[in-house]
Amino acid sequence: MRGLRALWMRLRSGRYAQADFEAELQSHLDLHTEEGVRAGLTPEEARRAALIRLGGAEQTRQAYRERASLPWLEILQHDTRYALRGFRRNPLFTVTAVITLALGIGATTAVFTVVDRILFRAPPYADPDRLVSVGLTAPIIPQEFVLGAWYYQWRDHPSPFASLTSEAGEYPCDLTERNPAHLNCVSVEASFLSTLGVPPILGRNFLAEEDRPNGPKAALISYGLWTSHYGRDPGVVNRVIDIDGAQVRIVGVLASDFEMPALEHADVLVPQAVDESTAGADRVMFGFARLKPGITAAQAAEQLKPQLDYALSKVPARFRSEVHLRVRSVRDRQMQDARQSAWVLLGAVLAVLLIACANVGSLLLTRSSTREREQAVRSALGASRGRLVSQALVESLLLSILGTLTGGVIAEGLLRLFLAIAPSGMPFLQGARLDLRIAGFTILVGLACGVAFGLIPAFNRPRSIAFAARTPPTSVGAVARKFMVAAQIAVTMVLLAGAALLVRSFSNLQTQPLGIQTRGVVTARVSLNRYRFTTPQSRMQFFVQAEAALRKLPGVSAVGLSDSVPPGDDRRDHIYSIMEVAGRPPMSGATGGMVAWRWATPDYFKILGIPIVRGRGFAEEQRASSEHFMILSNSLASRLFAGQDPIGKHVKPVPGGPWFTVLGVAANVKNSGLGEEDAPEYYQLWRAVAEDWQQPHSAVLLVKTAVAPRALAPWIRTQIGAVDATVPVDVQTLNERVGKLADRPRFETALLSFFAFTGLVMAVIGLYGVMAYRAAQRTQEIGVRMALGARRPDILRLVLLEGAHLIVIGTSIGLVAALALSRVLKSLLFNIGPRDPLSYAVVTVTLATVALLATLLPARRAASVEPSEALRAE
Amino acid sequence: MGGKTDVWQGTLALMVLRTLETMGPQHGYGLARRIEQTSGDRLQLNYGTLYPALLKLEQEGYVRSNWGTSVNNRKAKFYELTRAGEKRARKAAKEWEKTTEILARFLARPEEV
Repeated sequence: MRGLRALWMRLRSGRYAQADFEAELQSHLDLHTEEGVRAGLTPEEARRAALIRLGGAEQTRQAYRERASLPWLEILQHDTRYALRGFRRNPLFTVTAVITLALGIGATTAVFTVVDRILFRAPPYADPDRLVSVGLTAPIIPQEFVLGAWYYQWRDHPSPFASLTSEAGEYPCDLTERNPAHLNCVSVEASFLSTLGVPPILGRNFLAEEDRPNGPKAALISYGLWTSHYGRDPGVVNRVIDIDGAQVRIVGVLASDFEMPALEHADVLVPQAVDESTAGADRVMFGFARLKPGITAAQAAEQLKPQLDYALSKVPARFRSEVHLRVRSVRDRQMQDARQSAWVLLGAVLAVLLIACANVGSLLLTRSSTREREQAVRSALGASRGRLVSQALVESLLLSILGTLTGGVIAEGLLRLFLAIAPSGMPFLQGARLDLRIAGFTILVGLACGVAFGLIPAFNRPRSIAFAARTPPTSVGAVARKFMVAAQIAVTMVLLAGAALLVRSFSNLQTQPLGIQTRGVVTARVSLNRYRFTTPQSRMQFFVQAEAALRKLPGVSAVGLSDSVPPGDDRRDHIYSIMEVAGRPPMSGATGGMVAWRWATPDYFKILGIPIVRGRGFAEEQRASSEHFMILSNSLASRLFAGQDPIGKHVKPVPGGPWFTVLGVAANVKNSGLGEEDAPEYYQLWRAVAEDWQQPHSAVLLVKTAVAPRALAPWIRTQIGAVDATVPVDVQTLNERVGKLADRPRFETALLSFFAFTGLVMAVIGLYGVMAYRAAQRTQEIGVRMALGARRPDILRLVLLEGAHLIVIGTSIGLVAALALSRVLKSLLFNIGPRDPLSYAVVTVTLATVALLATLLPARRAASVEPSEALRAE
Repeated sequence: MGGKTDVWQGTLALMVLRTLETMGPQHGYGLARRIEQTSGDRLQLNYGTLYPALLKLEQEGYVRSNWGTSVNNRKAKFYELTRAGEKRARKAAKEWEKTTEILARFLARPEEV
């Protein structure tokens, strides 16, 4: 308490205290002198004696002043004022340093905020590190899955898992009560929530009897559904609701942060209620398990090996060679390929931070060496080493603070930009906020940067030689600066190479032939509500009517119907080897990969401009036929009918399905997304016959128009609304659809290019700074050389060579590093190798040219110096 | 701030407090003289060090100061103990006695222990 009070008094002590003490000191001396005079001294002698006993008036004042206020605070104030004055005098230096730091800190914070959620986010389960996803991988389902026949046997055997559970994936379901809604249901095993370790926030988990066939029907509802549909009424538990026409009891409500381990959207969880004794190889589920303590995912996989053999005996023979076991953490399963881009982004942004730090460092070093003489003067005038260090520290700390503040603004802006351009496939991006922990971390990095580089020159003892006109050309600082410039060039090289590869890959992606004509095509995806359109007949009627209605629109030349549109991968598919050709035995052997297929009406090919290369297309009158017709893609035709004419042949695509007559062969189109390998494909004629409408609840209406596609959108909505006002319609031009597919690579390319450009600018600034400084430092030497007969080109070459030296070293190191590091980009690249020679050549030449230009300016200035002036220069 | 100064300042503060306690309000010069007299002129005080010590005591709230006139009609700043200062003086004196007593045992001749 007393200490605090004293501190407070010292803080507010002002000039008044000084004047007061002056009077007190005077009074002290007077009293002392008076006594001396009384003792018989002359006034002068008495006063002298008094001063001696006092220990000197000035020393006393000093001691008093130090006690009266806080000296270090005053020094700090003084240093701050001095530093700010220095910044004002040299705005170019200040702005460059602050912007550099701010860009480094801002970009790092923003990117880290984004990737943190992808790379380091803990899934919202109890002890998430022990949760794994378990299953087989096979071509038909890219994610690991388990088969009923295998799973139940295996669950009841000793295993490396403390508990094992499963879910059977999402399916659309309808809430069929007075306030109906279209929902997503997921069926899970009763042990699902307990294995994840997330109890419902209201009500209870499923009971064992509810998970048996014909058991009581129960459901857990999501927090979102509870909020939107039931107004967070706690009384919702035990209420009976209608799901798909069945009476289901709500037993509980899930937490607001609940998410499925495979990230399906779940409004309602229902028990699987599987008869375990009869569950066979046809039942596909997704397995999740909690590892026993001390067992890793790899060990678990090892322990499961013997059981795999058993599992494989239940798998159709043709799968066996293509099936593998996979045990990986839930987090890995959730993030999949987003991890790759996240690491690349993180690497790129750390490189930018590195460049920024090196740049600020070399700026500070350059500045300090130009002030060597000033430091020497200050030192000669009595400044202690500590004062010089504290002055330098204050200066770099101030720079760091300014940079950090600006960086915060940049971070917020960049984050908003990321969120705006981020593809929907990047998980957890929505709702990303600037993380204070991360901001704190980057601020620390920035401060450390400033302090470290502020201290190096401060400990460089000001030498007496600093007074001399010539400074030695190589000091520790000079070497460090050159090293940093070379390092910046090297890191920039890596960034530029990465960006160049991504840009090339992106342009490959954009300019590749899609096999379809996207101009002037508008798509309208319509999903029918299950509880309204219950019969195949009603669904067919709706779409046939909608098709006819759209034909009436002005400017529409053709209307087609399909269930999916290329080049996305949302089409249906099945494995190749189940296809049967009339007159041939069934195929044997492996799966043969996947075959894509979709429904199509005759106009489909006309609208998308897909040429029929053999035979003919579908005809309008065939839509009423009782026969089934198909068109094969070129690749499927040549695979099924190598060397034969497929026209008129009969094909049964799926066992148990009808036979189709092949009418023609269409050219190949991109059908598995922009970056993926195309699948062979066939088209089934979508007839106006109820038989073809057993399953589909959704379809895409394709409209070819001569007028502006966007202007047509409201018309399309009105026309479909006139058929049935309740169905949601999603209208997009085909160009927009295709553009969305490139969102992800566009995001990656844009960001990496931005970082590469930032890095390049910083490296050039750094190089320019160092070269300009060196040239200025050598002015006198240049004068001597010129006086001795050197011509301007010689001087130019002299300075340029020094810069070229750094550039060559930096570029070479960068080239080697880039070649080594670009492997990580491999999976992000399309139709281009990670060592594409053209990219590297362009980047090397660009970087070298820009860097040489940065040295050319100072070199020219050095060469234009008048020898007489240079000799006089100090 | 070396250890020596601290100890010196600590004892000086105690001397000031005790002197003010026994003598009542005093100006700086008078205090200095009085401390020297009390020590039997064995203590050669550097008068200049007294003022920062007084300032510290004042900042801590143990003394307060007021301008007044001395016996020979000169303007001088007088220091006096506050209530806290009186308490502090008694407590510090007790602590110091205890310390010296303990130290005395160490400095005493071994056979006397």
